Amino acid sequence: MDMKFFAGLLQVLVPCLYAAAVALYAVSFFGKTPGVDRAKSFLLLATIAVHVVYLVIRTILFDHPPITTVFEIMTILAFSIAVAYLYIEKRTRTGSTGFIILSLALLFQTISSLFIRDLTEIPEYLHSLVLGFHVSAALLGYTAISLSAAYGLLYLMLYHEIKSSRLGVVYTRLPNLETLETMSHKAEAFGFVALSVAIVIGVVWLPRVFAQFSYWDPKLVGTLVIWALYAVGLFAKRLLGWQGRKTMLIAIVAFAIVVVSMMVINRYLSGFHTFH
Amino acid sequence: MNLVQIGISHHTAPVEVREKMWLSADEVREALRGFKSRGVGECVLISTCNRTELYAVGAGDGTADSLRRFLTETKDTGGEVQAGHFAGATDAEAVSHLFAVAAGIDSMIIGDIQILGQVKEAFALSQETDALGPVTNRLMQAALHVGKRVRTETSICEGAVSVSYAAVELAGKIFADLSKKTALLIGAGETGELTLKHLSSKGIGQIKIVNRTREKAESLAAAFGATVAEFDARFDALRGVDIVITSVSGPPHVLSAADLHRVMKQRANQPLFIIDIGVPRNVEPAARKIDNVFLYDIDALGAIVDRNLGKRKAELPLAETIVREETAAFLDWYNSLQVAPTITEFRDALEAIRREEVERNANRFRPEDRELLDIVTKRIVNKILHTPTSVLKQSAEDPASTRTLLRIDVLRELFGISRNGRAKHE
Repeated sequence: MDMKFFAGLLQVLVPCLYAAAVALYAVSFFGKTPGVDRAKSFLLLATIAVHVVYLVIRTILFDHPPITTVFEIMTILAFSIAVAYLYIEKRTRTGSTGFIILSLALLFQTISSLFIRDLTEIPEYLHSLVLGFHVSAALLGYTAISLSAAYGLLYLMLYHEIKSSRLGVVYTRLPNLETLETMSHKAEAFGFVALSVAIVIGVVWLPRVFAQFSYWDPKLVGTLVIWALYAVGLFAKRLLGWQGRKTMLIAIVAFAIVVVSMMVINRYLSGFHTFH
Repeated sequence: MNLVQIGISHHTAPVEVREKMWLSADEVREALRGFKSRGVGECVLISTCNRTELYAVGAGDGTADSLRRFLTETKDTGGEVQAGHFAGATDAEAVSHLFAVAAGIDSMIIGDIQILGQVKEAFALSQETDALGPVTNRLMQAALHVGKRVRTETSICEGAVSVSYAAVELAGKIFADLSKKTALLIGAGETGELTLKHLSSKGIGQIKIVNRTREKAESLAAAFGATVAEFDARFDALRGVDIVITSVSGPPHVLSAADLHRVMKQRANQPLFIIDIGVPRNVEPAARKIDNVFLYDIDALGAIVDRNLGKRKAELPLAETIVREETAAFLDWYNSLQVAPTITEFRDALEAIRREEVERNANRFRPEDRELLDIVTKRIVNKILHTPTSVLKQSAEDPASTRTLLRIDVLRELFGISRNGRAKHE
């Protein structure tokens, strides 16, 4: 089987596998089917494994990691969401929120598979594997902190239901408050570590590629300031022993700040983060 | 079918009468032996604090009346239990009734799970005393199957339907691992103690008891393996506690909003679940507004129970459909235990095998020997059929006897002859 054909096959297979996983998680959430619970995690793991193969094959075929166009980045984003979710599911042993989050992964992967182009001609510096790791770490980081915000939101919804005695679907289906909070915290920690790794790789690698690079570049400064704020926030929560609702609100707000600031920085300050 | 059912339940008799008719496991064994010695072919006796029911097949010399009389005589009830307290059914209706009971839809609270275990126990007791036969064996297995189906295919057993369970369910939605949590009971009383008991069975880590009278606290603590704290020191006790149950009679408030504000600061705002069972309320309602405090009084818990009961009632049609399906399946099976169709289907099954093998091997023989092959194989089949068929024909003289039913059931099972005549292994 020639590699190009195999890559094309996976391009179709991967979103189908995500769709099947989302279906299983949805069935598990809405219905009473005991066998499905074990099958769904296994299917997710299989899907991620196949996705890894897909990413590797594309990298070999086109001589660069799939991070140079929006649609290439989307497949990695889908992958990141799936991996981050699986990590959380394993650590907290609850799979009931899977279908909402995996639907995000399915969405990104579907769009990617539909519109992705097979490019071999890209700027020289984008051929770097290190860049691949940088982008992956950053994507994993963003994915994780958005999951952290998602669980924070679910926590607040359940908290509100229990506090006001208006118990609805959220009360019946979701895991308990303590678990939601743990999931959010773990995702936040994972995300912070991943973003830190991305920043470190970027700071070390950049000067070797761009001659006009300056450590005072506003993008870099902005990124480091936000990172520092985030680190301070995390340690403050730990030190002060904050609990529950307040920390969940902070997770959501922090996520919003990080995402908005990265968008602002990328849009208005041109610099090393713009490609083709 | 010769199946007779008589029973006493919350539909037919008040609790004092039902209690009188409760039989312990030993009493059930004795009663079953008594029935068998009076010529009853097969019998099963289900006895719980809310119902006592007898299912009998081939009632010997007895009618429903005499069965009932013997049953009431086994308990020295002094005439308090009367005929009017019993209800009964026969054949298909009795089957349907048993299945409804096993499904938990005939109980006082819909979706009762306990009853299935009690039906299982009755099954075991009949097995022990040799009181089972082909019909009751199949009937009880089918009843357990109905219970299982209703439990897995409907939500009729879900949701707390008592105040104490509702409280425990809430605890499970707030906290992840109850075994790492501590509960505190302030006061005493049936509901409060029941809630604590449920928490205990869910594996709650530690329990503390507080009461205005120290002796009362100590006796409760002994029952739960808990520690005691002074009533006046209850705020200090609250510091290390995650769940509080207050069940104190009379004003003033046991816990005020200001008290709780202070306590929450001392506990670094860890979530606190307060179950206020007192009437009037023991905890100042304003405390509800405090961050990470979840306060539920008896009305709020009652609202949860009402909501869940409504949801269970909505599942009734689904459960009733399952009961109907399984009743039809059971009747189908029973009707297959007739002698004539069994003989026909047995013959057909063997003939099908004969024909298939002849076809398969026909080309090993010369065409002129084909007829001979047919004759010889037919003779073999007829010889095999001869004894079973004539024994069955003899049994047809007593078609509903346990022996006949057993023979037909075993024959069908051993030869894989299903209801519509096709061999099961095909």
